[in-house]
Amino acid sequence: MAPTLYMIAPSPAVRAVQITASAIGLELNLKELDFMKGEHMQPEYLKLNPQHTVPTLVDEDGFTLWDSHAINVYLVSKYAKNDNLYPKDLKKRALVDQRLHFDTGVAFARGLPIVGAILRAGKTSLEDSEKESINQVYGFLEAFLDGKQYMAGDSVTIADYSLFATITGSNALVAIDAQKYPRLTKWLKTIETRPEAEVNKKGLAIFENMIKSKLTS
Amino acid sequence: MAPTLYMLWPSPPARAVLMTAKSLNLDLDLKEVDTTKGENKTPEFIKINPQHTVPTLVDEDGFILWDSHAIMTYLVSKYSKDDSLYPKDLKKRALVDQRLHFDNGVAFALTLKILRPIIYHGVKKGVGQEEKDAIEEVYAFVEAFLEGRQWIAGDSVTVADYSLISTITTLNVLVKVDASKYSRVAAWLQRAETLPEYELNKKGLDLFVALLKSRLG
Repeated sequence: MAPTLYMIAPSPAVRAVQITASAIGLELNLKELDFMKGEHMQPEYLKLNPQHTVPTLVDEDGFTLWDSHAINVYLVSKYAKNDNLYPKDLKKRALVDQRLHFDTGVAFARGLPIVGAILRAGKTSLEDSEKESINQVYGFLEAFLDGKQYMAGDSVTIADYSLFATITGSNALVAIDAQKYPRLTKWLKTIETRPEAEVNKKGLAIFENMIKSKLTS
Repeated sequence: MAPTLYMLWPSPPARAVLMTAKSLNLDLDLKEVDTTKGENKTPEFIKINPQHTVPTLVDEDGFILWDSHAIMTYLVSKYSKDDSLYPKDLKKRALVDQRLHFDNGVAFALTLKILRPIIYHGVKKGVGQEEKDAIEEVYAFVEAFLEGRQWIAGDSVTVADYSLISTITTLNVLVKVDASKYSRVAAWLQRAETLPEYELNKKGLDLFVALLKSRLG
């Protein structure tokens, strides 16, 4: 029996878990929630995850966990054949953790309220300050990639998956300027061509359509 | 030679690291960086941490790390005699990780969003109703997390408690935790105050209150 993942396809956090599962060859039983119908606020779902976010994982033995970053760490620790995606080496791991928290607290956290306002409050364009805050995220990532091929070193980790899922979404809000952010642009292309990133495409396309149909500028 | 911590007393994440170090009996060489005066934007500091946040750790051997959550798990893994603050057991650890990301992405992200315009930009003089509601929602989430538990991720103190103690005591200054609505949160805060390491949170929290007062006039 495969672990169950409660999800919605366009969510960057969901896509990050799907990429990770694909990389470690783990099948997930996907259960899509309908947020418009408020399925995430139903008592059964709140019992699983009182924070009512997606993704939520229910493992084969019933263990329930949410937050995409915690899920990815858990899945790699439990199911991966080696520690490449989340190194056991203390310093390498610390760097991955820092990047994961950057995704949570900065990259994803800055995009979320903007996306919420577009989808639920009829927002049709971004304020200059919002564009600036997303461009600042790109600037930080450009700095993180200084001397590194991947987000946390010279091989791919779950930090790449989280940030790839988030940044491909941000790119629909504020297009990445390849001249200003050459390392970030190159990194996106590198991750995009990896086989495990294939699962990002479907959800990202849905996300892009949702955003582009609402933005007028 | 003790590890160096670039920090600012009023900062909740800095206080979380200080509580962790105290609990580990680890001496830190504290270097104050006054972010309200832009001391984090100097070329020297940006070279250490391009994201120019506090806290930033420079370990004895020169290893540099930022993000309080990543620093705490690194310090425990490196310097602790046992794993109680950050359990090695996969499921226990996963729960701590989820709480750390909750602190970062929800509780602290909200704190920063509310305080930034007050503390740094001086353009706001109070907390709006929408923000008060968001703080109440954070309390309700924490109340749910504490169901059947003494501490945030189980029956003993973990680094997730330190993160959330520092953040929630800060939010408590803005919107007082109503003990009749959030009895578990109120009881948990009282338990936290009995921890020897809490004195470091108290010192920073008092300085935060003074800073806030100076801004609100």
